[in-house]
Amino acid sequence: MPYHLFKCSESIPEREKHSVIKGPGEDITSALPLGYLNTIPGSLSERGCAYCGAKHVIGTPMKDVIHMSHGPIGCTYDTWQTKRYISDNDNFQLKYTFATDMKEQNIVFGAEKMLKKNILEAFKAFPTMKRMTIYQTCASALIGDDIGAIADEIMEEMPDVDIFVCNSPGFGGPSQSGGHHKINIAWMNQKVGTVEPEITSDYVINYVGEYNIQGDQEVMQDFFKRMGIQILSTFTGNGSYDDLRGMHRAQLNVLECARSAEYICNELRVRYGIPRLDIDGFGFEPLSSSLRKVAMFFGIEDRAEAIITEETARWKPELDWYKARLTHKKVCLWPGGSKLWHWANVLHEEMGIDIVSVYTKFGHQQDMEKGISRCEEGALAIDDPNELENMEAMETLEPDIILTGKRPGEVAKKVRVPYLNAHAYHNGPWKGYEGWVRFARDIYNGIYSPIHKLSLLDISKDEIPTDVGFETQRMLSDVNLSDEVKNSTILREYTGEYDCIKGLRDKIYPEYLTKKVSEAV
Amino acid sequence: MDDLTKDRVEQLIDCIMKKCLWQFHSRTWDRERQNENILRMTTQILCDEAFDAKTLEDKCYWVDAVCLADDYKKKFTWLLGIEKSEIKLIMQEVKNRLDYLTITGSLNEELNDPLY
Ligand code: SF4
Repeated sequence: MPYHLFKCSESIPEREKHSVIKGPGEDITSALPLGYLNTIPGSLSERGCAYCGAKHVIGTPMKDVIHMSHGPIGCTYDTWQTKRYISDNDNFQLKYTFATDMKEQNIVFGAEKMLKKNILEAFKAFPTMKRMTIYQTCASALIGDDIGAIADEIMEEMPDVDIFVCNSPGFGGPSQSGGHHKINIAWMNQKVGTVEPEITSDYVINYVGEYNIQGDQEVMQDFFKRMGIQILSTFTGNGSYDDLRGMHRAQLNVLECARSAEYICNELRVRYGIPRLDIDGFGFEPLSSSLRKVAMFFGIEDRAEAIITEETARWKPELDWYKARLTHKKVCLWPGGSKLWHWANVLHEEMGIDIVSVYTKFGHQQDMEKGISRCEEGALAIDDPNELENMEAMETLEPDIILTGKRPGEVAKKVRVPYLNAHAYHNGPWKGYEGWVRFARDIYNGIYSPIHKLSLLDISKDEIPTDVGFETQRMLSDVNLSDEVKNSTILREYTGEYDCIKGLRDKIYPEYLTKKVSEAV
Repeated sequence: MDDLTKDRVEQLIDCIMKKCLWQFHSRTWDRERQNENILRMTTQILCDEAFDAKTLEDKCYWVDAVCLADDYKKKFTWLLGIEKSEIKLIMQEVKNRLDYLTITGSLNEELNDPLY
């Protein structure tokens, strides 16, 4: 597997060790991109900071909490419009952003008093909220404010509140990944074991590394509830602060995003003996096998099989409609850290898509090991890419679509390459059987939108054809399809609701008696 | 290893690398116990040997092993036509190869970090 130096990065030769091309018959022992290292000066990275990783990615999806940043207001920039981790309490954590708004005078004279004032004000403004997380930023870390001491003072003065302090300033790691690590360990050390949860089922899990992007957690929760499994806590999407204090009582940690949350699973395994089961909620086959595994762990396989059969029968014909139209489309799979391996193989197998490149902004070498193993030969793998490298890759690989974040996505659009938001999604949820079809629909809509063809024409110099009428997606996507596929009575486009989450919130689930209760009856 | 065995080992390895996640835990000691336990149990299942998972940890290895064994039986029908002793030999080679790919030959510089 040869390392690959982009032309545009010839002046930063250290970049060569950060990308490789998967050659025929080669494996991850012949070359592996470096990862989780400080960005090389001169490379225009797309990473976030360690505070962002701790707060915006992991802390803030907790729903019943005032999330306070102790720092300049600018640190909270990535909140309202970029994150889509919804919750079933009217999105409190999305609607309100709190920051102490540090200024120069605070840097000179200290900001602890101001922090205390802010905390009191916030609790007063939201009297039903009794939980708070506070995040250190570069500024408050540099001046050495003791956030923990202030939090202790408040908890003494207001015994009904509980506060978690996360000391993960922006400079506390090469990327957001440093912040993921810090908040995992801090939560483990400060909060796990401080609440004794109520156990209502014989089958109890923590669902870890799941952030409820556009409802992913609620989709998965639906499956678990249908099986009679109690989710003691979700770390952290749609998760509740106090539930997360009781993580130590689960029988199993079901881990979704290992990149951001394997640390807490590993610690729970070492300290409390709770095993860790890595699962995949994306794609029919990986999801089915994941549900089967969790069910098998508890000896309730029949409940999982019933769900798998029902959901597959309902949604597979719709997935296959899209597969017929997406086969051999070329995709650059450029997410943040874990979706390169969640999606690489299953996009290929279940939607027929060819992955021509994978990258990770903040992944570790472990993520590259997984991602490269799962993609086909010829794929270009890049660690911590810079903008120019992305442009060069798009020019050489000519992908039909890019799955990436907002910032690189907007750049791709400028060179007329469609993109889907891999972090916050377009029309999610994308987990679950229906979700996977919604993802296929988004990819289809992205690739075949007639606007991309039109946008390639430059009205200032190109001749605009006047003899062709408008084109629809179907006209573009079906042009090379056989009549058998085109006229199939089995395959069909997505037929679900615009909002597929709403119905889940009032759903009634079967009641399974616990062994203790059924023995007593 | 003869060519046929080599080819079969590669098929089984490819399936693990593309479909499973358990072989990629973050540290050497984790990977060692994952590979050892899951592949041992997979071999037992493929050879119809009884296994009783008692602890939560064993159960967790066991569910991954059951799924892998099912996948193997479905995809590689040649497994059904060979002797149990041969299955054991092939699975030992799979274990050696997987240990090489994920531990001894791995270029992952974080594998030997003493902390998580
Ligand atoms: S790097 Fe520092 S100053 Fe910038 S957003 Fe992150 S915490 Fe704030």
